[in-house]
Amino acid sequence: MGNILVWVTGSGVVQGVIIGATMAFLTAILIMNAVGRRITATVNGWSAIRACGQPGNGILVRAACAKALPVVNVFEEAAYWTTTKDGSGRTLSGRHAYVLHFPPGQLPPNDGFWSLTPTDVVGYMVTSSTGRQSVGDRSQLAKNTDGSIDIHLQPKAPGPQSGNEDNWLSTPTGNFKLMLRAYLPGAAILNGAYSLPPVVRTQ
Amino acid sequence: MNRLILKYGYPITVVILAIFAWVIYRKVSHGWNDVVVLAVAAVIVYLLALPAFLYFWPRLTVNGYKRAILKQGLGGGPIPINTLYAVPETAAPSGAGGSLMATGAEDLLYVGGWLELAKGPQVLHVPDMSGRYYSVQFTDPARSSNFAYVGKRTTGTRAGDYVLNGPGWKGTVPDGTTQIASPTDSVLVVGRVFVESDGDLHEAYELAKQIHLEPLGR
Repeated sequence: MGNILVWVTGSGVVQGVIIGATMAFLTAILIMNAVGRRITATVNGWSAIRACGQPGNGILVRAACAKALPVVNVFEEAAYWTTTKDGSGRTLSGRHAYVLHFPPGQLPPNDGFWSLTPTDVVGYMVTSSTGRQSVGDRSQLAKNTDGSIDIHLQPKAPGPQSGNEDNWLSTPTGNFKLMLRAYLPGAAILNGAYSLPPVVRTQ
Repeated sequence: MNRLILKYGYPITVVILAIFAWVIYRKVSHGWNDVVVLAVAAVIVYLLALPAFLYFWPRLTVNGYKRAILKQGLGGGPIPINTLYAVPETAAPSGAGGSLMATGAEDLLYVGGWLELAKGPQVLHVPDMSGRYYSVQFTDPARSSNFAYVGKRTTGTRAGDYVLNGPGWKGTVPDGTTQIASPTDSVLVVGRVFVESDGDLHEAYELAKQIHLEPLGR
């Protein structure tokens, strides 16, 4: 009995078990990330996953969803889009200024509410210099002359020619992530006809 | 902790792999016999653990919420089994519990709780929300799937009573209530109540607090 113990500790079985379990964990992470990318639809830089939270998902989709969006709402309850890149694929950063331009009548259709929030790259809210953490359906958004709406995303206030104060969302100074949520998304979101406009870097 | 793992995942992985490479290198320098034993053990454990990690990942994730709800609570102390707690504040950068239940949601009040239905059904009561957006999500911890919703989308905003029963329960629900059959005895409950503005917070919170559970037959 004692001999077996000595053999186990000296032979490499323990190291093998540790290495095998760790490599399995890392592989599981890679598989979940890969499946997560496969079920993510990205349009104009904005990514959304529709499958998560639905009953009847397979083991891999369940695992990928639990990792990417744990206990998230089903898509027909709330549509979530995130992006860390502008429309040209460059990383969003507080060193630049961006505009999100909604053509006339193209704000996210919904029967609940919508809001746009900047977060740090992990997804946690950040302290805003304006005290406003988001813009959305309750904001007093000024329209351009053609009825379109520009939302300015930059750390410092844009000039007075850029519409209302509400049209400005203050962003963190470092790299950041944007999250847009539409609760009770409208039919155009659910059937895929609607897509968010790209985030455009202006300076 | 989660935040640190998310932020430093790559460097941590590189360090771990470097340690493994060093261990294997040391074994090789002692002779090939030990490496064979190590490799066989590693492959066997790997083949067993990989599907297990994938299969149990949703449960591990939801159990994180379970532990948080039952041990720490969401800012108001531990939340007993079969009770709901309404978080009085919306998420804020410094908000307590915000990092668990929500990121970037300053227009929702969250309600959380953990159900155990093995001893009998629970009745969820929701007040009249008068058109206000709200939802109560019921999540199966084994699959991390939302098997039912009560709320504006699915049941409307009138007051109502919903009987949640586990898979082993045989019975009939009282008149005037709606049955929701849960696939598991354990259920994660996440409620969300819309907050129009800072001035609306008080009313939203009063409504969120009225979303509550009672055992069937009390």
